Amino acid sequence: MTQTRRLRLEFADRQGSGCLLITGWPDTEFAELCGLTPGELARRVVILPSDVLATAGDDYRAFPTIAGSFVLEPESVCFMPRFPFRDGMSYAVVVDSGASQDGPQVLTIQRPTVAATPTTEVVAIYPTAAEIPVNLLKVYVHFSTPMSEGWAAQAITVCRQDNGELLEGVFLPTPPELWDPSRRRLTMLLDPGRIKRGLAPNLEAGYPLVEGVPVKVMVAPDFRDAGGRPLVAGAERCYRVGPPRRERIALHNWKLIPPVAGSAQPLTVEFDHPLDQALLQHCLTVKTTDGTPVSGQGEIGPEERSWRFSPENPWDTGPCRLTIAPHLEDLAGNSPLRVFDRDITIEDDAPTNKDALQVEFNCAPAS
Amino acid sequence: MVEYGTTTHLEEFGLEVGTPSVKSAGSLAFGPAGILFVGDNVGAAIFAIDVDDNETGSGPHALDLENFDTALAAYLGCAREDVAIQDMAVHPASDNLYVSVMRGAGDDALPVIVKVNGDGNISDVSLENVAFSQTILHDAADADDPRQVSRQQLRTVTVTDMSFVDGLLLVAGTSNEEFSSTLRRIPFPFNGGFDANSLEIFHVSHGQYETAAPIRAFVPYQGNAKILASYTCTPVVQFNLDEFAPGQQVKGKTVAELGAHNRPLDLISFEQDGGEYLLVCNDRHPLIKVACADIDQQGPLTVPDRDMDSSPANPVTPPNGVPRQLLPHPGVKRMVNLNGSGVLMLQQDDDGHSHLHSYATDTL
Repeated sequence: MTQTRRLRLEFADRQGSGCLLITGWPDTEFAELCGLTPGELARRVVILPSDVLATAGDDYRAFPTIAGSFVLEPESVCFMPRFPFRDGMSYAVVVDSGASQDGPQVLTIQRPTVAATPTTEVVAIYPTAAEIPVNLLKVYVHFSTPMSEGWAAQAITVCRQDNGELLEGVFLPTPPELWDPSRRRLTMLLDPGRIKRGLAPNLEAGYPLVEGVPVKVMVAPDFRDAGGRPLVAGAERCYRVGPPRRERIALHNWKLIPPVAGSAQPLTVEFDHPLDQALLQHCLTVKTTDGTPVSGQGEIGPEERSWRFSPENPWDTGPCRLTIAPHLEDLAGNSPLRVFDRDITIEDDAPTNKDALQVEFNCAPAS
Repeated sequence: MVEYGTTTHLEEFGLEVGTPSVKSAGSLAFGPAGILFVGDNVGAAIFAIDVDDNETGSGPHALDLENFDTALAAYLGCAREDVAIQDMAVHPASDNLYVSVMRGAGDDALPVIVKVNGDGNISDVSLENVAFSQTILHDAADADDPRQVSRQQLRTVTVTDMSFVDGLLLVAGTSNEEFSSTLRRIPFPFNGGFDANSLEIFHVSHGQYETAAPIRAFVPYQGNAKILASYTCTPVVQFNLDEFAPGQQVKGKTVAELGAHNRPLDLISFEQDGGEYLLVCNDRHPLIKVACADIDQQGPLTVPDRDMDSSPANPVTPPNGVPRQLLPHPGVKRMVNLNGSGVLMLQQDDDGHSHLHSYATDTL
């Protein structure tokens, strides 16, 4: 200990928690600190984020101090924050004994920034079809690890392929961002107000995409993963933009390629146009005619135009049925029951009942 | 005056002392005896927490805190950009303000329930060794689980708003795949079960009934007999709570459309001169005031009118729906009724700084 104040700040750990040590107190002042109540000590030694102190200016008591508690150690004042210090942030300590003619003393210290070596990649962007309808409703981006929220609006963009111009207002504004529970799959909704004909956004700004103008969906590398690190690289997927699709998913246009009875061959279902990848994952099931699910594994084919179901056990000889959940959608949000953007003057497009959402098939006889 | 005591709460409300695994702090609502409900979107759960707030007698608070977000950043030891204010609620007895906040993002994100007393002092509700109970809405089923289809509608629920009415916690939610909407009614004390109703509304400007669009915010009114819900882009719909029978699809009465290009952010009710009024704050449009008496006299809007939203800059002009008044309070993101004495607003200025301002009801 000395008789003059030579205060120093240092980050340290106590019982596995980060803390801030303030050392270099004169003997007399330290003894005085030891006699203070916790409240008095918190008024004497004020700890704030440096940015907050800058905002407060001279009136450093204008804002609350960082939540936490003081522990007096043999030669230092130890501040244990209630919430962990943030990496890369600067913190300020204002020591105000009230006695010094020079006024309060201010010290600052910066938390080191954790090395941010990127490890997260974009695994997939759906749809994978080469052509999308101009009234595309959703884009899914899959990441290899859980992601941070708050980046989607700035990191996911759409541009014209012909001149590189960014298309504005394509996606429904966030928040909320639409993440799956693991925070690896992000759903980007194209603005339904611009897709549904007759709504003001559609009348004023038209579809988010332009028929006949190829586009590129881009994921910028600065999208942050859950650890705050950027991506290994950006990602993009190019699309042709075709005419709008405004009709129900017509099951009678699907082609079922039945497996051979007694074999473990997959059942293959070919769609007449691409369907929604996320919904396909769990909207199709294979059952026996008494409704018992057939165990097995579904797999989505290229461009989400087909689905293969490989049974766990060889097929029986009896008939089976493919059941389709009513909320299955195509790329434009049309389901087997209803058209997403329906013209109410077209009788045939009226929503239908869900009784018929199954297709029976018989396994091919073994040769 | 109700006596608040943790011992009583433990038995009466099925609480246990422990550390709730709150993964995110979102919607807030107070229930009986000052128990705070916290919606956890990440964990797909709702927690009931005894905040042990026994302060009484301080009277209604009229908070005016400039740079409230900076004050939170100071208290939480982080940058202002790391403070995401989610929701606000006022304790029914102490009048203290409770604010749900997410500090930081990603793996580092911490849910915090901040308490602001009448002097503007900030503290936080301990989430360790507190009396609490929880109910799981539904977490994600295994992707290979065949039961997933029947559960699909409930799988990826996000809580958008909550309110406690006559022993039931009403929870509006959205799902991220189906763009679908339900209102759950969860009995409290929690027993693990709840009823859910799908909702049908008429979207005037689109000219059709729809069951897909999610509720963004809602508020009970008229002695909790009805709720008024607001939807994106921006129908306002009345539901009668006595029409909510288990499992039924409930049809709402569309009473107004507040204009296109707009998402409602919050909805509250308050009393003025013996009448009940509603305030709707929006991400694009100004703060809008509607008289409940006008809502009750408003017949259902069931005729398509595609021109209705054609003036998004001025939501007063639509010819159909209840009369509405624009209020001058700028940048309102959240609102809460100060137990009848006024309305507290979280207002964001042009520089992105957030402030708390209180307004007496007779000035609104």
